[in-house]
Amino acid sequence: MAEAVILEEVEKNFGAVKAVDRLSLIVPSGCIYGFLGPNGAGKTTTIRMIMSIFYPDAGRLAVLGHENPLAVKERLGYLPEEKGLYDKMRVAELVAYFGQLKGLEPHTARLRAKEMLERFDLGDWLDKRCEALSKGMRQKVQILITLLHEPDLVILDEPFSGLDPLNRDVMRDLILDMKRQGKTVIFSTHIMEQAEQICDYVVLINKGRKILDGSLAQVRASGDQAILLDYDGDGAFLSQLPGLRRVNDAGKQAELFLEEGADAQEVLKALVQRLQVRRFDLREPSLHEIFVGAVGGTDDA
Amino acid sequence: MMRKIFLVARREYVENLRTKTFWIGIVSFPLIIGLATAVPVLLSKAKEARSYAVIDHSGFLLQEVEEEVRRDDLREVIETLAAVYREDANRFERLPEVLRQPTLAWLGIEEEQRQVLVAELAAVEADSMARAKLSENVRGRLDALGLALRQWWQGVSVQELEDMDLELSRSRFVRVEVPAGVDDPQAALNSMIKRDQLFAYFIIGPDPVESADQCEYVSNNLTDRDLRRWFTGKASRIVRQRRVARERIEPEVARWIQQSLAFEGRKIGVDGAVEDVGFKDQARQWAPLAFSYLLWISIFTSIQMLLTSTIEEKSNRIVEVLLSSISPIELMSGKIAGVAATGLTVVGSWALCFFLLVVVVPGLMGAPEDFLSHIPVEPLYMVAFLFYFLVGYLFYAAIIAGIGSVCSSLKESQNLMSPIMIVMMIPILAMLPIGQNPNGLVAKVLSFIPPFTPFVMMNRAAGPPALWEYLLTTVLMLVAVVLAFRGAAKVFRIGVLLTGKPPRLQEIFKWMVFSEGAAAVPKEEES
Repeated sequence: MAEAVILEEVEKNFGAVKAVDRLSLIVPSGCIYGFLGPNGAGKTTTIRMIMSIFYPDAGRLAVLGHENPLAVKERLGYLPEEKGLYDKMRVAELVAYFGQLKGLEPHTARLRAKEMLERFDLGDWLDKRCEALSKGMRQKVQILITLLHEPDLVILDEPFSGLDPLNRDVMRDLILDMKRQGKTVIFSTHIMEQAEQICDYVVLINKGRKILDGSLAQVRASGDQAILLDYDGDGAFLSQLPGLRRVNDAGKQAELFLEEGADAQEVLKALVQRLQVRRFDLREPSLHEIFVGAVGGTDDA
Repeated sequence: MMRKIFLVARREYVENLRTKTFWIGIVSFPLIIGLATAVPVLLSKAKEARSYAVIDHSGFLLQEVEEEVRRDDLREVIETLAAVYREDANRFERLPEVLRQPTLAWLGIEEEQRQVLVAELAAVEADSMARAKLSENVRGRLDALGLALRQWWQGVSVQELEDMDLELSRSRFVRVEVPAGVDDPQAALNSMIKRDQLFAYFIIGPDPVESADQCEYVSNNLTDRDLRRWFTGKASRIVRQRRVARERIEPEVARWIQQSLAFEGRKIGVDGAVEDVGFKDQARQWAPLAFSYLLWISIFTSIQMLLTSTIEEKSNRIVEVLLSSISPIELMSGKIAGVAATGLTVVGSWALCFFLLVVVVPGLMGAPEDFLSHIPVEPLYMVAFLFYFLVGYLFYAAIIAGIGSVCSSLKESQNLMSPIMIVMMIPILAMLPIGQNPNGLVAKVLSFIPPFTPFVMMNRAAGPPALWEYLLTTVLMLVAVVLAFRGAAKVFRIGVLLTGKPPRLQEIFKWMVFSEGAAAVPKEEES
C-alpha cells in the first residue's frame, strides 16, 4: 500500500471557528512528512483527526488504507505536544500499561518495556516512580511509549519543542531511524529549519488551509532562486541595494532575491565593498521564505 | 472495547489501592465501631472508685443505707449469675456451690419472694416474719445455705467480684469512716477533700424523715454526679418507707400510690396482629439510618476519588496519550468502573468487619448480644445497601466524570461541584426526620427524585416502603443513571481535551443537547 494517510476535503469546525478547511493531502508510506505552519494553523486538529480523537465534520479520511481509523488505532504511535506520565506509577509498569492499551499481550508488553527502557539507558529506573524522573528522562519514556508497540505510522506533534540541542539530536536520529525501519513518520512543527533538515515531504498549512505540499525539492523549486549571504558588518543598507526585489536579513545571514534580469555579479561587487562577505551562495529559497511568500499571497487573494 | 475498559479500570483500582485515602477508608469503619464500643467501657473501667464519708445526725439513716446497698449488690450478683445460668451452662457449673444454690432458688420464684430472699441473705440476722413469706422449697434451700452465703458475701473482696465480671456499687463507691476523736469532724473532712484524700461527704440532718433540713453534699467536683445521685436514691427510698410506716399506710398501698403509669410499646406485625416491641425492633428502626449514612459516606468518598483522578489525568496531560489508544468513552467507563471496584472493596471490607464484630466481639467485649446479632439477620439490608451503593455511585460518578473532564485543577472544579454538594446535603439533612417517619410525605416525595433515591430508600427500609414504591423508584433511578451517562459521555469527550478556563454550565448543557464537538474551542486556537 503506497499511501499511509489520505485526506480528501476534510473539514473540522469548532463552533464558528473553522479549524481545518477542506484539507486534502497524501502521505506516502515510508517517508518523513512534515506538517508546517504557525501556531493555530490547524496542525494538531488534523493530527487528532488522523488519530481518530476527533472526527471530521466533512470529507474523507483513510489511515493505513482504512476508512475507519479506529480499526488501525493499534498500528499508530502518537506523541502529543502536551504529554504527561502518571507520577505515582513505576516506570516499567507505566510503559507496559500503555503497551497493553495498544493491544500488546501483558507478557509481551512487560518484556518490551524492559528492553526499550534498557536501550534508552533507563535500566536503573524500571522500578522507580515516574515522579523521580528528570525532564529529559520523561521525554525518553514518552517517546518509547509511542514506539513500544512497533507502530507502522508514527505521529509526533511538535516533537522538538522544549528539547535542549542534545535531545533534539536524539529525537532527530530517532525519526531517521524509524524511516530506515520502513515506518512512516508525520511530525508537525512551526520551526521551518527543523523540517528542512529531515523531511521528505511537507505540507504548509495556515488558518486551516493547505497552502502547498509536495516533496521538499518540489516545494523549494516552486519558489524563486535566492542568494544566501553570510556576512560581518552593518547590513542596514541591504534593503536599499539596487537589483534586489526582497531581503530577508537576520543580522549575520541574509537571503537576497534578485529582481528579474538583475546580475548576481553586480550585487556581489556592491556587497564586498561594504561588508565582509563570508559566503555568497546562489540556491533554492528556504522553506521560511516560501512560507512567508505563500501566506502573503493567500492573504492578498 | 471491554478489554481496554478493563485495563483502565484495573489500573485505576491498583493505583487507588496505593493511596492513603483508600486505607483510611478501610480502617475508619472498624476504628469508629471499635472506639464507640471500647471508649465507654474503658472510661468506666478507668474511673477510679469514689471515696465518701457520711456524718449522720439522724442516727439511723446511714446504717439502713448500708443495708440497702448490701441487698442491692447481692441482688445484682444473683441476677448476673442467673444470666450466666441461662447463657453459659458450663461456666455456671464451675461456680462455687454457695453461689449456685441461691441462684437456682431465685430462678424459681416470683418478684415478691425474690425481694424477701435477697433481704434474708443480705441481712446479718434472720427475720422470721419475712421468712414466713417464702415458699417451702426456697426456705429449705435458704436454711441449707443461708449461713454459708451470708459468710461468703460478707467476706468476699471487691477484687473477687470484679474477677467474676460483676459491677457493684461497693466497688464504685467506697465509704471511709469519719475520723474519730476530733473536735470538728467536718473540718477534718474538708481538709481531706482539699488534700484529695476524699471525693465527697454527706451530712444527714437530725430528722431526714421530717424534712431535708441540714442535709448537705460537699465536694470539690460537682460535675460528676454519680455518687450524689446514687446515695440520694438509696437514702430517699428508706426515708420514704419510714414516712409510709409513720402514717400507718400499708406498704402495698404506698407502693401502689407511687407506681407511675407505664405505656408499653406494641407494633403491628406482618400478619396484622399486635406484637410486643423488643430491643430488636428498636435497633431495626435505627439500623437503616446508620446504613444510609454509611451509604452516603461511601458514595461521597468514591466520587471524590473519581474527581481527583480525572482531574489528575487532565492536568498531567496524560489524557491525549490515552486517547490515542482508547476512546473517551472507554476511558470514562474504565475510570468509573475502577473507582466503583475501589468503593466496593472498602464497603465490602466494612461488611466483613461488621460480620466479624458481630460474631467475635460480643463474646470478647461482653456487649449486649441482641444488639448486634440480629442486624445481619436482615440480609436484605446488605443487599439493598450494595444495590443502592452501585446505582447511587454510578449516577453521581457520571456527573463527576463530566465535571472532572472540563476542569484542569481541583480548585476550578469547586465551582461546578457546589451544586452537587448542595444536592447531596439534602438527604443528610432529611435523614433523621425520615428515620422517624419513614412513610411520611417528605420521605415518599424524596424517594422519587433520583439523586435522593438511594439514600432515602435505604433510610426508609424500616418502614418498609410498599413494593410498588421499590419498583418505581428503581426504574426511575436506572433511567436517571442511563441519562446521566449519556450526558456525561458527551461532555467528557469534548471536555477532556479542553484546556484553559472551565466552560460555564450553560455551555456544558449545550454540549449535552447538541451533537458532539458543537461548541468546543480547540487548544490551538487559544494559544
